[in-house]
Amino acid sequence: MGQEKRLILENVNFKYSSRNTFFRRAHHQVLYDVSFSLYAGETLGVIGGNGSGKSSLLKVLSGIYQCDSGEIIRNYKKASLLALGIGFDIELTGRENILLSGILLGARRSEVESKLGEIIEFSELDEAMDEPLKTYSSGMRARLGFSIAISLESDLMLIDEVLSVGDNAFRLKAMAAMKERVLSHQSAVFVSHSLRQVEQLCDRTVWLEGGRVRAVDTTSSVISAYRAQQKELASTKS
Amino acid sequence: MHYRDLVSVKLWFNLKSEANKTYLGYLWWLLEPILHVAVFFLVFEKLLQRGGENFLIFLLCGNIPYLWFSKTVSNASNSVLNGRGLITQVPIAKVFFPMMVVLTDLVKQMFVFIFFFLFLILYGQAAQSTWIYVPAIILVELLVIVAFAMLSAAITPFVPDLRHIIPTGLMLVMFGSGIFYSYKDVVSAEYQSWFMMNPMANLIENFRRVIIDGIPPDWFSLAIIALVSGLVIGLMLMLFQRLDTTYAKLVVQ
Repeated sequence: MGQEKRLILENVNFKYSSRNTFFRRAHHQVLYDVSFSLYAGETLGVIGGNGSGKSSLLKVLSGIYQCDSGEIIRNYKKASLLALGIGFDIELTGRENILLSGILLGARRSEVESKLGEIIEFSELDEAMDEPLKTYSSGMRARLGFSIAISLESDLMLIDEVLSVGDNAFRLKAMAAMKERVLSHQSAVFVSHSLRQVEQLCDRTVWLEGGRVRAVDTTSSVISAYRAQQKELASTKS
Repeated sequence: MHYRDLVSVKLWFNLKSEANKTYLGYLWWLLEPILHVAVFFLVFEKLLQRGGENFLIFLLCGNIPYLWFSKTVSNASNSVLNGRGLITQVPIAKVFFPMMVVLTDLVKQMFVFIFFFLFLILYGQAAQSTWIYVPAIILVELLVIVAFAMLSAAITPFVPDLRHIIPTGLMLVMFGSGIFYSYKDVVSAEYQSWFMMNPMANLIENFRRVIIDGIPPDWFSLAIIALVSGLVIGLMLMLFQRLDTTYAKLVVQ
Protein backbone atom coordinates (compact mmCIF):
# COMPACT_ATOMS: atom_id res chain seq x y z
CA MET A 1 0.00 0.00 0.00
CA GLY A 2 1.36 3.37 -0.95
CA GLN A 3 -0.82 5.20 1.55
CA GLU A 4 0.39 7.51 4.27
CA LYS A 5 0.97 5.89 7.62
CA ARG A 6 -0.59 7.54 10.67
CA LEU A 7 1.08 5.31 13.20
CA ILE A 8 4.03 2.95 13.08
CA LEU A 9 5.00 0.56 15.85
CA GLU A 10 8.36 -1.16 15.75
CA ASN A 11 9.23 -3.88 18.27
CA VAL A 12 7.35 -2.29 21.11
CA ASN A 13 7.93 -3.90 24.49
CA PHE A 14 6.13 -2.94 27.63
CA LYS A 15 6.22 -4.25 31.18
CA TYR A 16 4.77 -3.42 34.56
CA SER A 17 6.73 -3.88 37.71
CA SER A 18 5.05 -4.38 41.03
CA ARG A 19 6.43 -3.87 44.48
CA ASN A 20 6.59 -7.04 46.55
CA THR A 21 8.91 -6.27 49.40
CA PHE A 22 11.39 -3.48 49.91
CA PHE A 23 13.98 -4.69 47.45
CA ARG A 24 12.20 -7.22 45.32
CA ARG A 25 10.21 -6.17 42.34
CA ALA A 26 8.24 -8.50 40.12
CA HIS A 27 8.08 -7.74 36.41
CA HIS A 28 5.18 -8.65 34.21
CA GLN A 29 5.86 -8.18 30.57
CA VAL A 30 2.66 -7.32 28.76
CA LEU A 31 3.76 -6.56 25.20
CA TYR A 32 6.53 -8.39 23.31
CA ASP A 33 7.99 -6.94 20.10
CA VAL A 34 4.71 -5.60 18.83
CA SER A 35 4.98 -4.17 15.33
CA PHE A 36 2.28 -2.93 12.97
CA SER A 37 1.21 0.20 11.10
CA LEU A 38 -1.98 2.13 10.82
CA TYR A 39 -2.74 3.80 7.48
CA ALA A 40 -4.55 7.11 7.18
CA GLY A 41 -8.33 6.69 7.14
CA GLU A 42 -8.16 3.09 8.19
CA THR A 43 -9.82 1.44 11.18
CA LEU A 44 -7.66 -1.21 12.76
CA GLY A 45 -9.23 -3.77 15.08
CA VAL A 46 -7.40 -5.35 17.99
CA ILE A 47 -8.66 -8.71 19.22
CA GLY A 48 -7.39 -11.28 21.68
CA GLY A 49 -8.39 -13.00 24.90
CA ASN A 50 -8.28 -11.56 28.40
CA GLY A 51 -4.77 -10.54 29.38
CA SER A 52 -3.51 -10.58 25.81
CA GLY A 53 -2.38 -6.94 26.15
CA LYS A 54 -5.15 -5.16 24.20
CA SER A 55 -5.87 -2.47 26.74
CA SER A 56 -2.22 -1.94 27.60
CA LEU A 57 -1.47 -1.51 23.91
CA LEU A 58 -4.10 1.19 23.66
CA LYS A 59 -2.69 2.96 26.72
CA VAL A 60 0.81 2.87 25.27
CA LEU A 61 -0.55 4.31 22.02
CA SER A 62 -2.40 7.10 23.81
CA GLY A 63 0.70 8.09 25.78
CA ILE A 64 -0.58 7.11 29.22
CA TYR A 65 2.30 4.64 29.41
CA GLN A 66 5.65 4.82 27.75
CA CYS A 67 6.96 1.68 26.07
CA ASP A 68 10.14 0.24 27.59
CA SER A 69 11.82 -0.39 24.26
CA GLY A 70 10.99 -0.16 20.59
CA GLU A 71 9.66 2.81 18.73
CA ILE A 72 6.30 4.42 18.09
CA ILE A 73 6.16 6.92 15.26
CA ARG A 74 3.17 9.19 15.53
CA ASN A 75 2.05 10.95 12.43
CA TYR A 76 -0.89 13.00 13.60
CA LYS A 77 -1.71 16.16 15.48
CA LYS A 78 -4.34 15.07 17.92
CA ALA A 79 -5.34 11.67 19.17
CA SER A 80 -8.18 11.00 21.52
CA LEU A 81 -8.86 8.02 23.67
CA LEU A 82 -12.49 7.06 23.60
CA ALA A 83 -13.37 5.74 26.99
CA LEU A 84 -16.59 6.33 28.83
CA GLY A 85 -17.22 8.62 31.75
CA ILE A 86 -13.72 10.00 32.14
CA GLY A 87 -13.53 12.41 35.08
CA PHE A 88 -17.23 12.11 35.91
CA ASP A 89 -18.14 13.63 39.26
CA ILE A 90 -21.43 12.36 40.68
CA GLU A 91 -22.12 15.60 42.58
CA LEU A 92 -22.15 17.67 39.37
CA THR A 93 -24.96 17.99 36.86
CA GLY A 94 -25.01 16.21 33.51
CA ARG A 95 -24.22 19.47 31.74
CA GLU A 96 -21.21 20.17 33.97
CA ASN A 97 -19.93 16.64 33.52
CA ILE A 98 -20.08 17.03 29.74
CA LEU A 99 -17.81 20.06 29.99
CA LEU A 100 -15.37 18.40 32.37
CA SER A 101 -15.19 15.10 30.55
CA GLY A 102 -14.90 16.75 27.14
CA ILE A 103 -11.91 18.81 28.25
CA LEU A 104 -10.27 15.74 29.79
CA LEU A 105 -10.71 13.95 26.47
CA GLY A 106 -8.58 16.70 24.93
CA ALA A 107 -11.12 19.22 23.60
CA ARG A 108 -11.10 22.95 24.23
CA ARG A 109 -13.75 24.37 26.49
CA SER A 110 -15.20 26.38 23.60
CA GLU A 111 -15.39 23.26 21.43
CA VAL A 112 -17.31 21.33 24.06
CA GLU A 113 -19.63 24.27 24.68
CA SER A 114 -20.44 24.59 20.99
CA LYS A 115 -21.28 20.89 20.83
CA LEU A 116 -23.31 20.84 24.02
CA GLY A 117 -26.67 20.77 22.21
CA GLU A 118 -25.56 17.97 19.91
CA ILE A 119 -24.24 15.88 22.82
CA ILE A 120 -27.40 16.31 24.88
CA GLU A 121 -29.59 15.45 21.91
CA PHE A 122 -27.63 12.30 21.12
CA SER A 123 -27.75 11.13 24.74
CA GLU A 124 -31.55 11.59 24.90
CA LEU A 125 -31.08 12.82 28.46
CA ASP A 126 -32.22 16.45 28.07
CA GLU A 127 -34.66 16.19 30.97
CA ALA A 128 -32.01 14.96 33.39
CA MET A 129 -29.32 17.40 32.21
CA ASP A 130 -29.54 19.73 35.21
CA GLU A 131 -29.80 16.95 37.78
CA PRO A 132 -26.65 15.74 39.55
CA LEU A 133 -25.10 12.64 38.06
CA LYS A 134 -25.73 10.66 41.24
CA THR A 135 -29.40 10.49 40.26
CA TYR A 136 -28.54 8.78 36.94
CA SER A 137 -28.68 5.03 36.43
CA SER A 138 -25.49 3.35 35.23
CA GLY A 139 -27.03 2.98 31.78
CA MET A 140 -27.74 6.72 31.63
CA ARG A 141 -24.17 7.51 32.70
CA ALA A 142 -22.79 5.26 29.98
CA ARG A 143 -25.04 6.92 27.40
CA LEU A 144 -23.84 10.34 28.45
CA GLY A 145 -20.22 9.15 28.31
CA PHE A 146 -20.63 7.73 24.84
CA SER A 147 -22.36 10.87 23.55
CA ILE A 148 -19.46 13.03 24.73
CA ALA A 149 -16.82 10.75 23.29
CA ILE A 150 -18.41 10.36 19.86
CA SER A 151 -18.92 14.08 19.35
CA LEU A 152 -15.30 15.17 19.69
CA GLU A 153 -13.00 15.39 16.71
CA SER A 154 -9.47 14.07 16.39
CA ASP A 155 -7.04 12.74 13.78
CA LEU A 156 -6.78 9.40 15.49
CA MET A 157 -9.39 7.76 17.66
CA LEU A 158 -8.37 5.10 20.13
CA ILE A 159 -11.48 3.19 21.10
CA ASP A 160 -11.70 0.83 24.06
CA GLU A 161 -14.83 -1.32 24.49
CA VAL A 162 -17.38 1.44 24.30
CA LEU A 163 -20.16 0.01 22.22
CA SER A 164 -21.89 -2.17 24.77
CA VAL A 165 -23.68 0.65 26.51
CA GLY A 166 -27.28 1.42 27.37
CA ASP A 167 -30.36 -0.46 26.24
CA ASN A 168 -30.74 -2.20 22.94
CA ALA A 169 -32.08 0.82 21.06
CA PHE A 170 -29.21 3.00 22.22
CA ARG A 171 -26.67 0.29 21.38
CA LEU A 172 -27.90 0.24 17.79
CA LYS A 173 -27.76 4.02 17.63
CA ALA A 174 -24.24 4.03 19.10
CA MET A 175 -23.08 1.41 16.62
CA ALA A 176 -24.56 3.39 13.73
CA ALA A 177 -22.85 6.59 14.89
CA MET A 178 -19.55 4.78 15.30
CA LYS A 179 -19.88 3.22 11.85
CA GLU A 180 -20.59 6.57 10.24
CA ARG A 181 -17.57 8.00 11.98
CA VAL A 182 -15.00 5.32 11.21
CA LEU A 183 -16.17 4.51 7.70
CA SER A 184 -15.47 8.12 6.71
CA HIS A 185 -11.87 9.32 6.74
CA GLN A 186 -11.32 8.73 10.42
CA SER A 187 -8.22 6.78 11.44
CA ALA A 188 -8.98 4.62 14.42
CA VAL A 189 -7.76 1.75 16.56
CA PHE A 190 -10.64 -0.28 17.89
CA VAL A 191 -10.27 -2.70 20.78
CA SER A 192 -13.14 -5.05 21.46
CA HIS A 193 -14.19 -8.44 22.73
CA SER A 194 -17.00 -8.51 20.22
CA LEU A 195 -15.82 -10.10 16.99
CA ARG A 196 -19.03 -9.00 15.30
CA GLN A 197 -18.33 -5.34 16.04
CA VAL A 198 -14.78 -5.69 14.76
CA GLU A 199 -16.10 -7.30 11.58
CA GLN A 200 -18.48 -4.43 11.02
CA LEU A 201 -16.06 -1.60 11.73
CA CYS A 202 -12.51 -2.61 10.94
CA ASP A 203 -10.59 -2.81 7.67
CA ARG A 204 -7.70 -4.76 9.12
CA THR A 205 -7.22 -6.50 12.44
CA VAL A 206 -4.36 -7.28 14.80
CA TRP A 207 -4.62 -10.51 16.80
CA LEU A 208 -2.74 -10.34 20.07
CA GLU A 209 -1.91 -13.47 22.02
CA GLY A 210 0.03 -13.34 25.27
CA GLY A 211 1.33 -9.90 24.36
CA ARG A 212 2.64 -10.96 20.96
CA VAL A 213 1.22 -10.22 17.54
CA ARG A 214 -0.13 -13.51 16.25
CA ALA A 215 -1.48 -12.05 13.01
CA VAL A 216 -2.09 -8.75 11.21
CA ASP A 217 -4.23 -8.95 8.11
CA THR A 218 -7.63 -8.17 6.66
CA THR A 219 -10.34 -8.48 9.28
CA SER A 220 -12.08 -11.44 7.64
CA SER A 221 -8.98 -13.60 7.44
CA VAL A 222 -7.75 -12.77 10.97
CA ILE A 223 -11.15 -13.39 12.49
CA SER A 224 -11.64 -16.72 10.73
CA ALA A 225 -8.22 -17.86 11.92
CA TYR A 226 -9.08 -16.67 15.44
CA ARG A 227 -12.41 -18.50 15.37
CA ALA A 228 -10.75 -21.68 14.15
CA GLN A 229 -8.27 -21.55 17.02
CA GLN A 230 -11.01 -20.89 19.58
CA LYS A 231 -12.94 -23.90 18.27
CA GLU A 232 -9.86 -26.08 18.47
CA LEU A 233 -9.18 -24.96 22.05
CA ALA A 234 -12.76 -25.70 23.01
CA SER A 235 -12.64 -29.20 21.51
CA THR A 236 -9.33 -30.16 23.15
CA LYS A 237 -10.69 -29.02 26.52
CA SER A 238 -13.83 -31.15 26.33
CA MET B 1 -4.86 18.60 26.92
CA HIS B 2 -5.79 22.27 27.28
CA TYR B 3 -4.71 22.81 30.86
CA ARG B 4 -5.94 26.37 31.23
CA ASP B 5 -9.49 25.30 30.32
CA LEU B 6 -9.19 22.23 32.51
CA VAL B 7 -7.97 24.12 35.58
CA SER B 8 -10.59 26.86 35.34
CA VAL B 9 -13.44 24.39 34.93
CA LYS B 10 -12.17 21.91 37.48
CA LEU B 11 -11.44 24.52 40.15
CA TRP B 12 -14.99 25.80 40.24
CA PHE B 13 -16.49 22.31 39.94
CA ASN B 14 -14.29 20.92 42.74
CA LEU B 15 -15.41 23.65 45.13
CA LYS B 16 -19.02 23.08 44.23
CA SER B 17 -18.83 19.30 44.34
CA GLU B 18 -17.14 19.32 47.73
CA ALA B 19 -19.69 21.77 49.15
CA ASN B 20 -22.56 19.61 47.87
CA LYS B 21 -21.39 16.70 49.97
CA THR B 22 -22.27 18.35 53.30
CA TYR B 23 -25.33 20.11 54.73
CA LEU B 24 -23.46 23.30 55.57
CA GLY B 25 -21.53 23.34 52.29
CA TYR B 26 -19.47 26.48 51.71
CA LEU B 27 -19.84 27.50 55.37
CA TRP B 28 -17.26 24.84 56.22
CA TRP B 29 -14.56 26.98 54.64
CA LEU B 30 -14.90 29.23 57.69
CA LEU B 31 -16.30 26.81 60.26
CA GLU B 32 -13.37 24.43 60.07
CA PRO B 33 -10.68 26.97 61.05
CA ILE B 34 -13.04 28.47 63.66
CA LEU B 35 -13.45 25.06 65.30
CA HIS B 36 -9.70 24.47 65.33
CA VAL B 37 -9.02 27.84 66.91
CA ALA B 38 -11.83 27.30 69.42
CA VAL B 39 -10.22 24.06 70.61
CA PHE B 40 -6.83 25.71 71.12
CA PHE B 41 -8.41 28.68 72.81
CA LEU B 42 -10.38 26.45 75.17
CA VAL B 43 -7.37 24.34 76.11
CA PHE B 44 -4.72 27.03 76.53
CA GLU B 45 -6.70 30.03 77.71
CA LYS B 46 -9.38 28.36 79.82
CA LEU B 47 -8.09 24.93 80.92
CA LEU B 48 -4.37 25.58 81.29
CA GLN B 49 -4.72 29.34 81.85
CA ARG B 50 -1.59 29.83 79.79
CA GLY B 51 -2.99 32.27 77.28
CA GLY B 52 -1.42 35.57 78.06
CA GLU B 53 -2.27 38.99 76.79
CA ASN B 54 -4.53 39.26 73.72
CA PHE B 55 -4.26 35.47 73.32
CA LEU B 56 -7.11 35.04 70.83
CA ILE B 57 -5.52 37.30 68.21
CA PHE B 58 -2.08 35.85 68.93
CA LEU B 59 -3.50 32.35 68.38
CA LEU B 60 -5.33 33.31 65.19
CA CYS B 61 -2.14 34.76 63.68
CA GLY B 62 -0.47 31.38 64.23
CA ASN B 63 -3.26 28.95 63.57
CA ILE B 64 -4.70 30.39 60.36
CA PRO B 65 -1.43 30.24 58.38
CA TYR B 66 -0.61 26.83 59.87
CA LEU B 67 -4.00 25.30 59.00
CA TRP B 68 -3.61 26.47 55.41
CA PHE B 69 -0.20 24.79 55.17
CA SER B 70 -1.29 21.63 56.91
CA LYS B 71 -4.51 21.12 54.95
CA THR B 72 -2.92 21.69 51.57
CA VAL B 73 0.13 19.50 52.18
CA SER B 74 -1.96 16.68 53.57
CA ASN B 75 -4.47 16.85 50.68
CA ALA B 76 -1.67 17.09 48.13
CA SER B 77 0.15 14.04 49.50
CA ASN B 78 -2.75 11.84 48.40
CA SER B 79 -3.55 13.76 45.24
CA VAL B 80 -1.64 11.68 42.68
CA LEU B 81 -2.97 8.42 44.13
CA ASN B 82 -6.48 9.84 44.24
CA GLY B 83 -6.11 10.83 40.59
CA ARG B 84 -5.67 7.14 39.71
CA GLY B 85 -8.94 7.07 37.77
CA LEU B 86 -7.81 9.82 35.43
CA ILE B 87 -4.14 8.84 35.27
CA THR B 88 -4.93 5.37 33.95
CA GLN B 89 -7.41 6.66 31.38
CA VAL B 90 -6.04 9.85 29.87
CA PRO B 91 -2.54 11.18 29.25
CA ILE B 92 -2.35 13.96 31.83
CA ALA B 93 0.60 15.77 33.45
CA LYS B 94 0.79 14.49 37.02
CA VAL B 95 1.79 17.87 38.45
CA PHE B 96 -1.80 18.87 37.68
CA PHE B 97 -3.02 16.97 40.75
CA PRO B 98 -1.06 18.71 43.54
CA MET B 99 -1.51 22.07 41.79
CA MET B 100 -5.28 21.58 41.71
CA VAL B 101 -5.21 20.94 45.46
CA VAL B 102 -3.14 24.09 46.02
CA LEU B 103 -5.54 26.23 43.98
CA THR B 104 -8.70 24.81 45.55
CA ASP B 105 -7.34 25.39 49.05
CA LEU B 106 -6.04 28.83 48.07
CA VAL B 107 -9.52 30.00 47.09
CA LYS B 108 -10.92 28.83 50.43
CA GLN B 109 -8.03 30.37 52.32
CA MET B 110 -8.57 33.79 50.75
CA PHE B 111 -12.05 33.85 52.29
CA VAL B 112 -10.54 32.83 55.63
CA PHE B 113 -8.04 35.71 55.47
CA ILE B 114 -10.74 38.22 54.54
CA PHE B 115 -12.92 37.13 57.45
CA PHE B 116 -9.91 37.13 59.73
CA PHE B 117 -9.31 40.81 59.05
CA LEU B 118 -12.99 41.66 59.40
CA PHE B 119 -12.88 39.90 62.75
CA LEU B 120 -9.76 41.81 63.80
CA ILE B 121 -11.52 45.12 63.18
CA LEU B 122 -14.75 44.04 64.88
CA TYR B 123 -12.80 42.65 67.84
CA GLY B 124 -11.25 46.06 68.36
CA GLN B 125 -7.68 45.25 67.34
CA ALA B 126 -6.13 48.55 66.31
CA ALA B 127 -5.46 48.58 62.57
CA GLN B 128 -1.76 48.95 61.80
CA SER B 129 -0.20 50.58 58.78
CA THR B 130 1.96 47.43 58.53
CA TRP B 131 -1.12 45.40 57.51
CA ILE B 132 -0.25 46.33 53.94
CA TYR B 133 2.66 43.85 54.18
CA VAL B 134 0.33 40.91 54.81
CA PRO B 135 -0.16 40.02 51.11
CA ALA B 136 3.63 39.72 50.71
CA ILE B 137 3.84 37.25 53.59
CA ILE B 138 0.84 35.32 52.21
CA LEU B 139 2.61 35.12 48.86
CA VAL B 140 5.79 33.70 50.46
CA GLU B 141 3.70 31.19 52.39
CA LEU B 142 2.01 30.18 49.13
CA LEU B 143 5.45 29.40 47.67
CA VAL B 144 6.33 27.29 50.72
CA ILE B 145 3.02 25.46 50.41
CA VAL B 146 3.47 24.79 46.68
CA ALA B 147 6.96 23.40 47.34
CA PHE B 148 5.83 21.05 50.12
CA ALA B 149 2.64 20.06 48.27
CA MET B 150 4.64 19.07 45.19
CA LEU B 151 7.22 17.26 47.29
CA SER B 152 4.69 15.20 49.21
CA ALA B 153 2.63 14.48 46.07
CA ALA B 154 5.73 13.37 44.16
CA ILE B 155 7.13 11.01 46.79
CA THR B 156 3.99 9.38 48.21
CA PRO B 157 3.23 7.24 45.10
CA PHE B 158 6.73 5.73 45.39
CA VAL B 159 6.58 5.20 49.15
CA PRO B 160 2.90 4.78 50.10
CA ASP B 161 3.98 4.36 53.75
CA LEU B 162 4.50 8.13 53.81
CA ARG B 163 0.75 8.51 54.10
CA HIS B 164 1.14 7.47 57.72
CA ILE B 165 4.18 9.64 58.34
CA ILE B 166 2.96 12.92 56.84
CA PRO B 167 0.21 13.52 59.45
CA THR B 168 2.80 13.05 62.21
CA GLY B 169 5.17 15.41 60.41
CA LEU B 170 2.42 18.01 60.18
CA MET B 171 1.75 17.62 63.90
CA LEU B 172 5.45 18.20 64.54
CA VAL B 173 5.25 21.38 62.47
CA MET B 174 2.25 22.42 64.53
CA PHE B 175 4.12 22.05 67.83
CA GLY B 176 7.34 23.40 66.41
CA SER B 177 6.06 26.60 64.83
CA GLY B 178 4.96 28.58 67.86
CA ILE B 179 1.27 28.58 67.13
CA PHE B 180 0.08 28.78 70.74
CA TYR B 181 3.29 30.06 72.33
CA SER B 182 5.84 32.74 71.60
CA TYR B 183 9.17 31.17 70.74
CA LYS B 184 10.93 33.95 72.64
CA ASP B 185 9.40 32.68 75.91
CA VAL B 186 9.95 28.98 75.27
CA VAL B 187 13.07 28.43 73.18
CA SER B 188 16.39 29.23 74.85
CA ALA B 189 18.30 32.10 73.24
CA GLU B 190 21.02 29.95 71.66
CA TYR B 191 18.48 27.82 69.78
CA GLN B 192 16.20 30.63 68.65
CA SER B 193 17.96 31.11 65.31
CA TRP B 194 17.62 27.36 64.66
CA PHE B 195 13.94 27.53 65.50
CA MET B 196 13.51 30.31 62.96
CA MET B 197 14.94 28.07 60.22
CA ASN B 198 11.54 26.38 60.22
CA PRO B 199 9.79 28.33 57.45
CA MET B 200 6.37 28.07 59.11
CA ALA B 201 7.70 29.36 62.45
CA ASN B 202 9.36 32.20 60.60
CA LEU B 203 6.25 33.10 58.61
CA ILE B 204 4.02 33.00 61.68
CA GLU B 205 6.44 35.29 63.54
CA ASN B 206 6.28 37.68 60.59
CA PHE B 207 2.48 37.59 60.50
CA ARG B 208 2.47 38.55 64.20
CA ARG B 209 4.97 41.36 63.67
CA VAL B 210 2.88 43.08 61.00
CA ILE B 211 -0.59 42.28 62.37
CA ILE B 212 -0.15 42.77 66.12
CA ASP B 213 3.10 44.64 66.76
CA GLY B 214 3.04 47.03 63.83
CA ILE B 215 6.63 46.20 62.84
CA PRO B 216 7.57 45.59 59.16
CA PRO B 217 8.41 41.97 58.32
CA ASP B 218 11.90 40.50 58.34
CA TRP B 219 12.43 40.91 54.59
CA PHE B 220 15.71 39.03 54.57
CA SER B 221 14.14 35.86 55.99
CA LEU B 222 11.18 36.13 53.66
CA ALA B 223 13.50 36.47 50.67
CA ILE B 224 15.49 33.37 51.69
CA ILE B 225 12.31 31.33 52.22
CA ALA B 226 10.94 32.45 48.85
CA LEU B 227 14.21 31.64 47.12
CA VAL B 228 14.57 28.14 48.59
CA SER B 229 10.90 27.38 47.88
CA GLY B 230 11.34 28.58 44.31
CA LEU B 231 14.31 26.26 43.89
CA VAL B 232 12.38 23.29 45.25
CA ILE B 233 9.43 24.10 42.96
CA GLY B 234 11.75 24.24 39.94
CA LEU B 235 13.32 20.91 40.83
CA MET B 236 9.94 19.29 41.41
CA LEU B 237 8.66 20.52 38.05
CA MET B 238 11.64 18.85 36.37
CA LEU B 239 11.09 15.68 38.37
CA PHE B 240 7.39 15.51 37.50
CA GLN B 241 8.20 15.96 33.86
CA ARG B 242 10.78 13.17 33.87
CA LEU B 243 8.70 10.71 35.84
CA ASP B 244 5.38 11.48 34.21
CA THR B 245 4.65 8.06 32.72
CA THR B 246 6.28 6.26 35.63
CA TYR B 247 3.48 7.48 37.87
CA ALA B 248 0.90 5.86 35.60
CA LYS B 249 2.52 2.50 36.26
CA LEU B 250 2.89 3.16 39.99
CA VAL B 251 -0.69 4.07 40.73
CA VAL B 252 -2.17 0.90 39.20
CA GLN B 253 -0.43 -1.31 41.76
